[in-house]
Amino acid sequence: MSGEKFINKIQELFGIISQNDESKRKAIKELVKKLKKRRITLKNELREESNLIKRETLKDNIKIIKKQIKKGKDILDD
Amino acid sequence: MKRLLLILTIIGLSYAFAQSKSILSISAGVAIFLLGMLSLEEGFRFFTGGLLDKFLKKFTNNVYKSVIFGAVTTTLMQSSGLVSVIAISFISAGLIGLSQGIGIVLGANIGTTTGAWLIAGFGLKISIATYAMPMLVFGTLFIFQSSRRLKGLGYVLTGLGFSFLGIAYMKEGFEAFKETIDLTQYSIEGFKGILIFTAIGIGATIIMQSSHATLVLILTALAASQITYENAIALTIGANMGTTITAVIGALGASFDGKKLAGAHFIINISTALLVIGFVPFFINMIEFTAPFLGIAHDDYALKLALYHTYFNLLCVAIFAPLVDKMVMLLNYVFVQKKLEASEMDDVMYINDLALDFPDTAQIVLLKETKHLFTNVFEIIAKGLSIYKEDIFSGMEIEDIIKLRHKALHVNMDEFYEKRIKDIYGKIITFTILAQGKFSEDANKKLIPIKNANIRIVEAFKAAKHMQKNMLVYIESDNEFIKNEYNHIRKNLIKQLRNMQLILNTNEEDVAILLLSKLKLDVQKYDIAANKSLDNLIRTNKITYAMATSLMNDTTYAYTIAFELAEVANILFIHEDDDLKEGREALLLNENEVDDMANNPNTRKSA
Repeated sequence: MSGEKFINKIQELFGIISQNDESKRKAIKELVKKLKKRRITLKNELREESNLIKRETLKDNIKIIKKQIKKGKDILDD
Repeated sequence: MKRLLLILTIIGLSYAFAQSKSILSISAGVAIFLLGMLSLEEGFRFFTGGLLDKFLKKFTNNVYKSVIFGAVTTTLMQSSGLVSVIAISFISAGLIGLSQGIGIVLGANIGTTTGAWLIAGFGLKISIATYAMPMLVFGTLFIFQSSRRLKGLGYVLTGLGFSFLGIAYMKEGFEAFKETIDLTQYSIEGFKGILIFTAIGIGATIIMQSSHATLVLILTALAASQITYENAIALTIGANMGTTITAVIGALGASFDGKKLAGAHFIINISTALLVIGFVPFFINMIEFTAPFLGIAHDDYALKLALYHTYFNLLCVAIFAPLVDKMVMLLNYVFVQKKLEASEMDDVMYINDLALDFPDTAQIVLLKETKHLFTNVFEIIAKGLSIYKEDIFSGMEIEDIIKLRHKALHVNMDEFYEKRIKDIYGKIITFTILAQGKFSEDANKKLIPIKNANIRIVEAFKAAKHMQKNMLVYIESDNEFIKNEYNHIRKNLIKQLRNMQLILNTNEEDVAILLLSKLKLDVQKYDIAANKSLDNLIRTNKITYAMATSLMNDTTYAYTIAFELAEVANILFIHEDDDLKEGREALLLNENEVDDMANNPNTRKSA
């Protein structure tokens, strides 16, 4: 851990600074990773699903995840 | 009775003051010392908004760490009372378990011994009042500053200043007393003396509400040779017993788990004291044997008493730390929470006055109580749809639930509101308002959305209540079209309620994030589809005007229920973890994105 990171951690612990951008980005990165995995699972489920209503629900879910991953990536790229 | 006691105390003290200036000096010393303790506690409360809470969460994950935490914080703050309050408050909020709480109490007992050492080692040997003066001046200067941290520091300094000044007055009083009367003539030797002086110690601690103050009084009296060493030990045992009564009284306003912790404190101190009472001569011999190794002079009884106090509390830890799990089992067996019958009044489960002491606990307690209210409203909304909450939790297909529950379920929603919602809602709002008046702007920013979630929960209930009237009629209607429409409302709300349950119960963050956006999308899609269907039914004369009006109103109510509860799920999930809050919020779809998706022709057909 670099000196700056260590100081940030201590400042966070003592409540001197609020959650900084770095930890927000870290949280988003983690979430995007999880969402990507979930998208793969949902795509596999869609391939095997024959019920029309369930297929539509799965498609909706995949669309939402796609948008969320894009949102996350946009924030991370900034 | 309480008032009579107060009047008698005032009369008694006034008489004593007129008789002896020394008694006045000692009593003033005790009063100033107690004032100092209060100021010290107030000062540390300014720092608990972040620092202490975070330490507590991080360093109390097992019993032994909790013991160390309790010892260190009590040493620093010189107030086992405040540390116990923090422990009770955190247990009530569910931040730490009962076993960690017991660990903290054990540690706090050790922490109090440092105070005894400081007073016996320095306080009674130097002119302590000299140090008090600058502390009081600088402390008061800081109190008038606008910065919270400086204000806190001010209270800590004045607290220390007053404590020092109080000790000085007590010392002076006992020194002057010595010249006129020798109190040791009233000393009682033997086991009888131990019992009587233990009782006096208990009484003094209950009156002063502080074992620390009792201990200081004993030390100053002992240093002035106004009590015998053996009687002082008995008084100290009494102080350790009396402090548990103070804790039990303090825990009356605490949650169920807070009461268990006060019970643990009582068991620990009382059983150790009872054990020690029988072995006072043995302890005296042990102190006589070990004191020279620590450089304590033969006639320095104040330090010997501090050593005794340390042995007593170390014995507490040695006996009870390995038994913490067993004690938790015993307390869980003794304190059994009554299960609520459906017809009974429900009350708040987490909110308590102690949770108002710290912003973190206030937020967590508020969040938990909101979930409690949500659970109650969830149950009645399900019944308003003529289904049971168990149907929602079951894995049954929604179509099958509708087939199974085709009969109207007549429940009195007003009665349910009176018994299971009104009081809890009122107490939540009152708690939030009190908390808002107490904490900083930053802390309040976290409380306001949770308060709003409660308002939304009740709005959803009201909509369900309005909708129930027609629901009862039309799900058993002969007109298949209107029946289908109402069943469609039911299906949609069951789906929404099911998703909300998943969001609030899942451990998978990505699932919750996905479902939250899905909830919003489904609310929009349903609204579009329902309006289209209604237009169609009216145009083709399949339902009467009265039915159309009811359906139109109830579609709006159904939308309100779904919308408000989706917002509630959103708030509860987002605010569950402060560290992840911003990341979670960033990935949720906003209104425009949801509208875009809902109005997309490809998605409309699925509604």
